[in-house]
Amino acid sequence: MKRIGVFLCHCGTNIGGVVDIAKVAEEVAKLPNVVTVQENKYSCSEPGQESILKGIKEHNLDRVVIAACSPRMHENTFRGVLERAGLNPYLLEMVNVREHNSWVHANEPEKATQKSIDLIRKAVFKVAKLEPLQPSKIGITKKALVIGGGIAGIQAALDIADAGHQVILVEREATIGGKMAMLDKTFPTLDCSA
Amino acid sequence: MSAAAQHPNITLYTLAQVEKVEGYIGNFEVTIRLKARYVDMKKCTGCGICETKCPTKVVSEFDQGLGKRPAIYKPFPQAVPNKPVIDAANCRKLKEGKCGVCAKVCPTGAINYEDQDQIITEKVGAIVMATGFDLIDWTKYYGEYGGGKYPDVITGLQFERLVNASGPTGGKIKRPSDGKVPETVVFIKCVSSRDDTKGKAYCSRACCMYTAKHAIQVKEKLPNCDVYVFYMDVRTPGKAYDEFFERAKKAGAKYIRGRVSKIYQQGDKYIVKGEDTLVGQNVQVEADLVVLANAMVPDRDAIKTAQIVGFSYDKDGFYTEAHPKLQPVETNTGGVFLAGCCQGPKDIPDTVAQASAAAAKVIMLLSKDELIANPMIAFVNTELCSGCGLCTKICPYRAITLETITERVHGHEIKRDVASVNSGLCQGCGACTAECRSGAINLKGFTNSQILAEVEAACR
Repeated sequence: MKRIGVFLCHCGTNIGGVVDIAKVAEEVAKLPNVVTVQENKYSCSEPGQESILKGIKEHNLDRVVIAACSPRMHENTFRGVLERAGLNPYLLEMVNVREHNSWVHANEPEKATQKSIDLIRKAVFKVAKLEPLQPSKIGITKKALVIGGGIAGIQAALDIADAGHQVILVEREATIGGKMAMLDKTFPTLDCSA
Repeated sequence: MSAAAQHPNITLYTLAQVEKVEGYIGNFEVTIRLKARYVDMKKCTGCGICETKCPTKVVSEFDQGLGKRPAIYKPFPQAVPNKPVIDAANCRKLKEGKCGVCAKVCPTGAINYEDQDQIITEKVGAIVMATGFDLIDWTKYYGEYGGGKYPDVITGLQFERLVNASGPTGGKIKRPSDGKVPETVVFIKCVSSRDDTKGKAYCSRACCMYTAKHAIQVKEKLPNCDVYVFYMDVRTPGKAYDEFFERAKKAGAKYIRGRVSKIYQQGDKYIVKGEDTLVGQNVQVEADLVVLANAMVPDRDAIKTAQIVGFSYDKDGFYTEAHPKLQPVETNTGGVFLAGCCQGPKDIPDTVAQASAAAAKVIMLLSKDELIANPMIAFVNTELCSGCGLCTKICPYRAITLETITERVHGHEIKRDVASVNSGLCQGCGACTAECRSGAINLKGFTNSQILAEVEAACR
């Protein structure tokens, strides 16, 4: 038996203002392997993260579903919470009930609520099948390539070189300087460019 | 410029182009073509005698077509490296086997007509793209401005060469056609910018400020010259920028809000017909010189270079950042960063800031001894893999190759090909898993059984 916790984020009124979260919680609690369903005003906030951490420990969870925003921004935030709780950070499913749901169905709250339930159900079934993953490590060649020797390339190359790393600066033309070298004076101070 | 060439940690390759990039974040292998320069950089002292004796004169690219240069030349006096190059397409010796004057006059014997391109490879951990911009060829879009047939209708970059002390006129503002000092100069902004019917929908961001600068420069050098600026809007959001625009107006530049509909020649004047939308009247200016602020576009090789390095670009050819707000100098390809106008039009302060940001990201990367790789990548079940290679073709990151394995089957040793995923290159997109006919390739975190569990739940 898996022990799955589902955490529902209101995201202020972004999700909670459209989706009937209490109803979602009621339905999701009936799903197999779901041990606890909890709500948070802002899951990504410090208190939000703490309450998820507490929930994992209190209910001895081994899998976590977070229904909130796009994973693009906060998947790493919540993986960190799992890690702090002693879980493998990849035993997490995020359900995007904001961009994929409340924002686009703001005028249809009932359907949005049902869609939340459907999306979370999928995640609950998937999370049960997740396996712990271990990241591998790869070595680094401590040298940089800068393509283009205009003001951007020169500045980047100098900064990297000043930090003590080797830089290869590749320029297509016979000289570096790019467009900047063609300019006379530069705004707004009218100092010379070359 | 010279600081970059002198820095002990910087290796500078000019006349060089990246031809191939293999590998992945922290471990790129780059193939670079060093084009023949025909001048031995070690022997050449940069004295410049060859340039003065070369009998060939061609249009100078650096002076934007407004001046001439010899076939052996330094693009400009402060060029870095400060050594000349032979333009093979225009050199008589290289084209016809005749001449050879530069070799005769060179005091150090640095000229080498037999020079060949060289190919080198370098291993690097990070790449910064700083390929810059070009100005759009406005002549294709603006037939009503003469489409390039009037020599005194020039671009902002050409104007820069005209006012530059090292330019073709020694910094004196003169008309390209007859060398006459202009009495009236008209500037036109948003030529091909902010106009998707005649070029590009975006704002090129630097033009409002450089046109104000040009107006100030004209009034400084030619106080009696009339300066008119036709504009759609004045966009000067930046520190000390709006004050600078006010300074241009105080210097005497007359700003007219409206578009120019036509430019035509009358005698030795150019009639600029436009509209002043603030007073609701048509206006007409007799100009000696017209300067266009034409749109910034990506460098002519930008798309090709992006394809070689392996990351994405937008519909205009500008390089795509990983996130418009939170990852503005990263690309979606690990270890590849963006600086300057290759990512979008911007001015010098923004370019320098972004270049330093990209450098900071590179320094962060190179200061580590090893990288933690994303574990949500493809993996192959070699028992099911038939070695068909479809996945190698579909993979956008070139992360899958076929490798030969040896197996024992019924007591016999056999060799066969199976797919193999490079964990550094794989970005976990999953294209291979959908392509695989035998279900042999799976994505960790999105395996077939995990996705089917979702499908089952969705169908309940």
